Amino acid sequence: MSETDRYYIERCLDGHPDDFRYIVRRYQAILLANLAGKLGDRDRAEEAAQETLVRAYFNMGKLKKPDSFFSWLLGIADRVAKEHQRKEQLQRQRQIVRSFSEEAPATELSQDYALETAIAELPETYRQVVLLRYYGDHSCNRIAEQLSMPLGTVTKTLSRAYAMLRTSLQQQEQAEVYEV
Amino acid sequence: MNCIECKELLVRYIEGLLDKFPKQTVAEHLKDCPSCQAELQELTALHDRLVNNGKAVAQSDLENNVMNQIVREQNIRLKAATRATDALKIRRTIMKSPVTRIAAAAAMIIVAVLGINYFMAPSVTWAQVIEPILNAKTIVFDLVLGTDETGVVMHEIVVGSRMRRTMSNMPTVTMIIDTDNAKLLALDTQAKTAAYADIEGDLGDRHRSFIKFVRQIIRQLQEGQVEQLGEQLIDGQKAIGFVGKGQNEAVTIWADPETALPIRIEAQIGQEFSFIMKNFELDADVDESLVSMDVPDGYTLEETNIELGNSNEEDFVESLRIWAEIIGDGTFPEAIGTESAMKQMPLLVQKVTAMQVSEEKGTQIGMSFAKGMLFHQTLENQGQWKYAGAGVKLGDAEKAIFWYRPKDSKTYRVIYGDLSVKDVAPENLPK
Repeated sequence: MSETDRYYIERCLDGHPDDFRYIVRRYQAILLANLAGKLGDRDRAEEAAQETLVRAYFNMGKLKKPDSFFSWLLGIADRVAKEHQRKEQLQRQRQIVRSFSEEAPATELSQDYALETAIAELPETYRQVVLLRYYGDHSCNRIAEQLSMPLGTVTKTLSRAYAMLRTSLQQQEQAEVYEV
Repeated sequence: MNCIECKELLVRYIEGLLDKFPKQTVAEHLKDCPSCQAELQELTALHDRLVNNGKAVAQSDLENNVMNQIVREQNIRLKAATRATDALKIRRTIMKSPVTRIAAAAAMIIVAVLGINYFMAPSVTWAQVIEPILNAKTIVFDLVLGTDETGVVMHEIVVGSRMRRTMSNMPTVTMIIDTDNAKLLALDTQAKTAAYADIEGDLGDRHRSFIKFVRQIIRQLQEGQVEQLGEQLIDGQKAIGFVGKGQNEAVTIWADPETALPIRIEAQIGQEFSFIMKNFELDADVDESLVSMDVPDGYTLEETNIELGNSNEEDFVESLRIWAEIIGDGTFPEAIGTESAMKQMPLLVQKVTAMQVSEEKGTQIGMSFAKGMLFHQTLENQGQWKYAGAGVKLGDAEKAIFWYRPKDSKTYRVIYGDLSVKDVAPENLPK
């Protein structure tokens, strides 16, 4: 499990597709957290995470810099999320047309939907650091290595991310108060 | 330290990222500052929330779903590719196809793998479970090259030193191999043609059957090299497992804990090659005519004898050319090696057929391909090779697609996309 992404990618491309499972193990929680915030529930996030990983597998040959696999993977996840959102929007519109009275089915929220939404809204770099730290269980040193930035920048980014998350969570709470 | 400075450092404080001195300063400031204490509490709450959610999310497991979906999609893609080549086949003229000879080449590749050297001190056998494997007169089993889900399956009937082999991805081809005389008879059951191939050469008098190979490894394992794996359900049956490891290979045997008969054998050789044997029938009543080396009634013998003996780097380069030019439509494949070569065989046969070349030329292509792969297999033993050609276009002189270090050489041989070969010092190898 401690090999680099590059190592596993090269193994896959060298004819060991099974080694892709180590990549799945490494990034599944990260993808789920990222996608749950965007899509709103665990089932949809799982479906999208799975699709992201499968898409990554079949497009691995096109990845030019194996060292930036993580950023590339998040890019795919974001595209998948957008596609799913668009599809759902269409479905919802159709449903509205079909029946005015019918409410959209209630969705089962994941553990901490508010938090995941807040994370999904963070700017790219902040999102990457938070996802790797808490969902990928990376130490700050390893994040520095993976994202090729100095350790000081990682810790600073993390501090700022905390501030942004707090603001975002407070806004969500207030919005809920008003809705009620 | 003032509050602004302190608050700036709180996340790092919680994360344990501060050095001793700033950590002390923060701690001291916190003692007397209710505002910063409140801030610390809030940040800690957020930290815990992140950690807890991270743990909760980490519990879901996509691994099997993702891997299964990949296998499914790959199969769909493969089927689409086969359908495309099937369309070619329909357009095929009445011209006689060289399929039997190319199939003989395919057989060569898988037989040749057993020519690999291995280095283990000869010693006693290690368990009761191997006794039936060593002593059965006839053995019928399925052999999977690669993994259960994606591998090519071969059905093997072994009678003494003869065997009969059929393959899942080339259903019209049957091979009969005489390991004592290093002869192979390839039959095309659809076209009713037969061809003999000579399998002397690089293989010398080494083993030419998987079962012999496994037996040899088992015999040479020392007690200390064998590990017990305990009981497990294997292919739906209760089984007891042993794994024996040599220098370059590992053999795992799963056997019925009561009868000691084998249920499943898994072998890993070198870095690239693995196979699985399962669905065993030992000492079954086998009709000896199934392994006869005579041309069966109603079959036409194709005259040219096929010689698949020694192979060298030139053969290997030629096989890479065939792989890129004919199989890959100008692009080098995702992977090379025995398993990949076997999977590509049907496609090669169909593409060669569609090219409508002369019979002689078709045979030559199949032979070159097999010989090249045979050379690759001899490298397997040394482990000093690397393939980097996935997606590279044939003719691209800039990209190195393969390199290896010949035995006792200080430099590497590097093969480029235009199939030129250069000697390169280890420090100058492509990254």
